[in-house]
Amino acid sequence: MMLELRAAVAAEWTKLWSVRSTWGTLAASAVLMMMVSAQLGIAHENNNTNEITTDDFGVTTAGAIAIESFEMLQFVLFTAAILMVTGEYASRSIGWTLQAVPVRGRVLAAKALVIAPVMFVAGTAMCLLGALAAKPLLGDWGTLDGLAYDAFAMGVYSAAGGVLTVGLALVLRSTATTLTAMFVLLMLLPVLLSAAGSPAADAFPSIAGDHFMSGDTGEYPVLVALLIVLAWTTAAVLAGLRSLGTRDA
Amino acid sequence: MITLRNLTKRYGELTAVDGLDLEVQPGKVTGFLGPNGAGKSTTMRMVVGLDLPTKGQALVGGRRYADLRWPLREVGALLDAKAVHPGRSVKAHLLALARSNRIPARRVDEVLETVGMGKVAKRRAGGLSLGMSQRFGIAAALLGDPPVLLFDEPVNGLDPDGVRWVRQLMRSLAAEGRTIFLSSHLMSEMQLTADQLVVIGRGRLITDVPMRELISGGSSVSVVCPDAAGLAALEARLPAARAVSLNELLVPGATPQQVGDLAYELGIRLHALRENEVSLEQKYMELTEHAVEYGATR
Repeated sequence: MMLELRAAVAAEWTKLWSVRSTWGTLAASAVLMMMVSAQLGIAHENNNTNEITTDDFGVTTAGAIAIESFEMLQFVLFTAAILMVTGEYASRSIGWTLQAVPVRGRVLAAKALVIAPVMFVAGTAMCLLGALAAKPLLGDWGTLDGLAYDAFAMGVYSAAGGVLTVGLALVLRSTATTLTAMFVLLMLLPVLLSAAGSPAADAFPSIAGDHFMSGDTGEYPVLVALLIVLAWTTAAVLAGLRSLGTRDA
Repeated sequence: MITLRNLTKRYGELTAVDGLDLEVQPGKVTGFLGPNGAGKSTTMRMVVGLDLPTKGQALVGGRRYADLRWPLREVGALLDAKAVHPGRSVKAHLLALARSNRIPARRVDEVLETVGMGKVAKRRAGGLSLGMSQRFGIAAALLGDPPVLLFDEPVNGLDPDGVRWVRQLMRSLAAEGRTIFLSSHLMSEMQLTADQLVVIGRGRLITDVPMRELISGGSSVSVVCPDAAGLAALEARLPAARAVSLNELLVPGATPQQVGDLAYELGIRLHALRENEVSLEQKYMELTEHAVEYGATR
């Protein structure tokens, strides 16, 4: 890695960990993940043991419960990536960032190179924590089968999603706008489309991410699911780069 | 050295900076003056590549800012003292800047000592007063020990002691051969600090002159004499003089020595003899008379 990029990465690393919001969002993600997974574990066990037979899903995996939880609260995790960018625009400290590293592509690369591994570790940890919380509550109805893949896949999806978020935040610049856009992109549109029975929902990053993590859906192969996620990430990065390069800071 | 060549910035219809040509020389403090909205901040932002010029270019040491390998070691710019993440500590902010340009971490402590903030290194930036933020911003600008420094309104919010400290700092940085480009609306302070003055209005260059030249032209002497006959005798010997009241004369272009000696020679009683130096404020008002964009009605 060239020296300039390494220096820019070191600076982004220092900045990321020197604000409380990073620690706060990561801690909140972990706690929420455990709470939601526990709740889903109880519900699953309940459904299987109550007198209603139509809601029985049989034995599941703790990893599947974690993935289901993650779909709902991925925003909380991605907020850390949003704030990495919008926090600088809100405080106008983006000026210092660009004075220190005037090459716009290098700023974006440095942010992506910092957020991707952080998100990978966070995503992996979240999957394990979620499974850990759900397993005892599932009792005999849950196994730890495939947890290694689930955790790895959640890490990969989180890393890609984190970079996607950084790209989008560089275009939108405001925390509220970016969070709203993320909600529409990851939740609202795919849910509306699948409710309407449209196959277009499968093209959205969150649905593709779900297919990638679950690995068992018949829509398309896992690899295609990953490529869809990466295509969205690439598009967001290019849009972010364009915005950085052509608009005043 | 900072070089501006036909530097132009337009926002739609509005032209903020209009074909600015300028060289800011090393070893001097160059004051940058102009009314609100004249384009000073935009010009400075273009020098460090935060705003993109519509036309023309801004060069530092002959190179574009984006081409500098370690820009903070070449150019230090305090453009906006409050532009720091409020939740980040003073030290962490400087440390991130140091790492981005491979500046040794010990420089962080050094510059904090320089600006008198060694004791507040752990404080969060959002809790600093405006004056402290200015010192903090100056520390950040000095971090890479750069030969070129830009300061946009650095004395805003500083106490009198701080104002004097900034003046001395600017003078000593210039004496070390650095290029200092400084904007301020405090005319009296600028008069004490700057060697060279650049005045712009409505985005255009109005003047670029040495301070001495600007304020030496037009100084005058006031003489107060209680006797009407004496006043008339003085007026007769000083062709440039004009009476400003029944017992006072204004003599443009004269020195107190000349007028005092003349009064002694003529045996005229004087009650006052004083030199009227033209202040920078006066000169500035004359220069920008037609370039004030946002003026109150008078």
